[in-house]
Amino acid sequence: MSVTTRPKPFLEPQYCKGCLRCIEACPRDCITPGTEINAATGLVPVEMHLDNCNGCLLCLQACPEPYGIRLETDPPPPIPAPNTDFVLEDPAKLFGERCVANFSEGDQPDDLIALPACQPLVLKGTYASAIGALLAGCRHVFGYPITPSTEGAELMAKILPKLNGSFVQAVSEVAAVNMMYGAGGAGLPCMTFTSSPGFSLMLEGISYMIGAEVPGVFVNIMRAGPGLGNIAPEQADIKLACRGLGHGNTRAIVLAPSTPQEMLDLTREAFALSFRYRNPVIILGDGYLGQMTGMVKLPTNMTRPGLPAWAVWGDRAHRHNLITSIALAEADLEKHNLHLNRKYAAIAACEQRVECHRCGDAEVLVIACNTPARMAKGAVEAARAQGVKAGLFRPVTIWPFPIDTLEEILPGVQRIIVVEAGPGQLEDELRLALSHAGIAPPPIEHVRRCGGILPAQSAIFDGIMHTEEVLS
Amino acid sequence: MSAFYDHFTRHSHGEGLKARSTHYCPGCGHGVAHRDLAAAIDELGIQDKTVLISPVGCSVFAYYYFDVGNSQAAHGRAPAVALGHKLAHPEAVVISYQGDGDLASIGLAETISIAQMGLPITVIFINNAIYGMTGGQLAPTSLMGQKTSTSPDGRIAAMGQPLKMAELIASLDGPVYVERVALFSSRERVKARKAIKKAITNQIEGRGYSFIEIISECPTHLKMTPQEAEEWVKTKMQPVFPLGVKKDLTVEPWFKRGIPSFEPEAVLGLSGAEPLDETTRRTAAVWPGHLPARDIAIKLAGSGGDGAQTAAMLLTRAAIAAGFDATAIPSYGPESRGGTSYADVHIAEQEVLNPAASEPHALVAFNAPSLAKFAPTVPEGGIILYDCTVVTDPAGLPANRRILPIPLTRIAADLGRPMVKNVVALGALHAALGLLPESGIVDTLRHVLRGQARPAAPE
Repeated sequence: MSVTTRPKPFLEPQYCKGCLRCIEACPRDCITPGTEINAATGLVPVEMHLDNCNGCLLCLQACPEPYGIRLETDPPPPIPAPNTDFVLEDPAKLFGERCVANFSEGDQPDDLIALPACQPLVLKGTYASAIGALLAGCRHVFGYPITPSTEGAELMAKILPKLNGSFVQAVSEVAAVNMMYGAGGAGLPCMTFTSSPGFSLMLEGISYMIGAEVPGVFVNIMRAGPGLGNIAPEQADIKLACRGLGHGNTRAIVLAPSTPQEMLDLTREAFALSFRYRNPVIILGDGYLGQMTGMVKLPTNMTRPGLPAWAVWGDRAHRHNLITSIALAEADLEKHNLHLNRKYAAIAACEQRVECHRCGDAEVLVIACNTPARMAKGAVEAARAQGVKAGLFRPVTIWPFPIDTLEEILPGVQRIIVVEAGPGQLEDELRLALSHAGIAPPPIEHVRRCGGILPAQSAIFDGIMHTEEVLS
Repeated sequence: MSAFYDHFTRHSHGEGLKARSTHYCPGCGHGVAHRDLAAAIDELGIQDKTVLISPVGCSVFAYYYFDVGNSQAAHGRAPAVALGHKLAHPEAVVISYQGDGDLASIGLAETISIAQMGLPITVIFINNAIYGMTGGQLAPTSLMGQKTSTSPDGRIAAMGQPLKMAELIASLDGPVYVERVALFSSRERVKARKAIKKAITNQIEGRGYSFIEIISECPTHLKMTPQEAEEWVKTKMQPVFPLGVKKDLTVEPWFKRGIPSFEPEAVLGLSGAEPLDETTRRTAAVWPGHLPARDIAIKLAGSGGDGAQTAAMLLTRAAIAAGFDATAIPSYGPESRGGTSYADVHIAEQEVLNPAASEPHALVAFNAPSLAKFAPTVPEGGIILYDCTVVTDPAGLPANRRILPIPLTRIAADLGRPMVKNVVALGALHAALGLLPESGIVDTLRHVLRGQARPAAPE
């Protein structure tokens, strides 16, 4: 019997679960079932009798445990003593508070590239949003066609291949959001265009993205529901975006543009916010805004994105990174949720955005966003022409609701009128924000249409002008 | 084994025995497959290039063990996540490691569609014919008659018959390499290891999508010893899921992607931006005093193909070029062609507030239904312009409006191009409204239609 000099296997009894798969693998019957219970594991490890072993190592290949059987010549380094100060799965400790735009070591920061002055473009809202994304450095777009958002994806499908980017028409919105999870997890800016039914399908993935702290921008050109509804504009996904981003403790900044210009500006902004907070950002447009053509001025610079230190990039520098939303131990998951809560609190404190039009002395305050805010602005102007002190409070972020500014305005306000193309979801956000802030508001009335019909300027005007009867 | 962490710090914080042992049950095929994958990563020297995707299932915790870039995915979505990673960083080696519930049940759509895309990723499919993580339920690959906790009397055809994924994937055009391997003997394990290595090599060399199905043991939920489970896979599973290469195309390396461009000129050019031209900027038009308001609404209405949308766009562009604010909103019927097609345009001296034109100051109607529908919405003093070539007998038009029957189609036909009736309409509207400078409209027309001008068709 020749005994070779090849290294032989070495059994680590405490890492052997006694499955016996190695016994069948060994052609020389060197391994036998164990007879003694291992004190550390309570299991019965196999026993090795290596006199006859020729180092074929088939037992290693059969062993399901990485450290059950190893090469005798290849001992793993000792396990470091537990460091009680270092808890791996606490992202707040690992990466610091992510609530501000601070870069951690290993981040490759974004570059800002100056743009020459350009003629204003004349664009529809979805195109403006797409160009905003290109200028924000987004070169990866994943989507599924759905009216009335599709033009944004179509423009990206046309442009991105020429910029060595990727547009992928996924098999479904479910697949699209998970492609975003991948590209966003790799640390790159990515986005999708969708509309209400598609957004519903993406919610699962958005919850995972929030849990795993993956950035990404969702442009939801809202249409009328429920169900298939129709393709006309309705602001009926405010509830989903502000309160219902899938399961669990989820929040995302919700931006509400009202012009094609804002579709571009807020899409750019959305990418910055998404990376600043490592969180998805939702842009809620309405079908009108998506299709509306208007003047769009280009910014003075564009972004070449860097690479964050946390990215799962597939290189040595980022090798130990992990994108995950799972935390099996309850204490770990509670800690993660507390970290998320701190992030949400920082967003609520720092990222409220609002446009106030003639709010300074307003006695009748109209609250509206998206396209209905334009009708509302017209109605406010018409009411001012009649001597009524009306103002428009237009939330640009619906979550966080710009409650701080509203609180400053409210003392002089006698009536609030919430104008929306939907069943009252903006009003719900307003009432929740007031309630959380402990503010007793003046009477809240509303002018609403739904099913795809926008409130007419004349109806809003009537709502402002009538002072006696409370609208219902 | 450098592809494994020395110390599994993610496994219950790496405390005690968990520092070096897996969460898998004794004899689990996952552990064997993990060894094979780790060996391939080591032998190919790709530890610093690899991104491993571990979705829901027992292998969701693969990131405890593999010292590579890790992304943990939602149930069934691993191929989509893998695609996102691959497109973000094409140089990375992206491996999607999925179980049978994940790959062949909840994730079927992603599995098939991304296989068919054929981009070079590597999918490792552990088929053990049962759900492990949730505790022994029926899998899409469970055998006929197999008793599971959700098929307590055995699988019958009405529960669906076992899905043969390797054959299914091999029938697609996208993949280049599909093989089914097993772990129940040293011989099969050697083949499995080779197959995994080849599937990854195909990716590294940019040859395409590879799929390795591993029929594997789940002793716990089969309620067997590991040896019985190996025997069961060999004698019961293997006949249903025959081993071997299902597809192996000789494909030259093809996957090569350029680095994304951030050249301002390219981005601006593709966005349709043009350099600022100081001479044409703001023709400095003055808002005409004869108009009833500082914000004029115009509705253009016809059926698809009449050119209402193009005319609306031209009008909007001309107004913006003149230094005003303007918006246009289309409204179509559900038909892609031939249905109703309306456009609302607003032109305002300062800012368009309400972009809808529910009561337009001017209506351009290209056909009788549009005229009938919208003429009553035009307020007193407004303009109703219609194509009297096609609307020969307008009935019930409201009083106190400027009614302008213009033979749009005939004029356009006389020009040799009936399609340009919408431009004729713009001319007529301009004459009636007097809102924009004439040179501005003509400049916009020339600019937008540059390169499209063709000689008129001969009569």
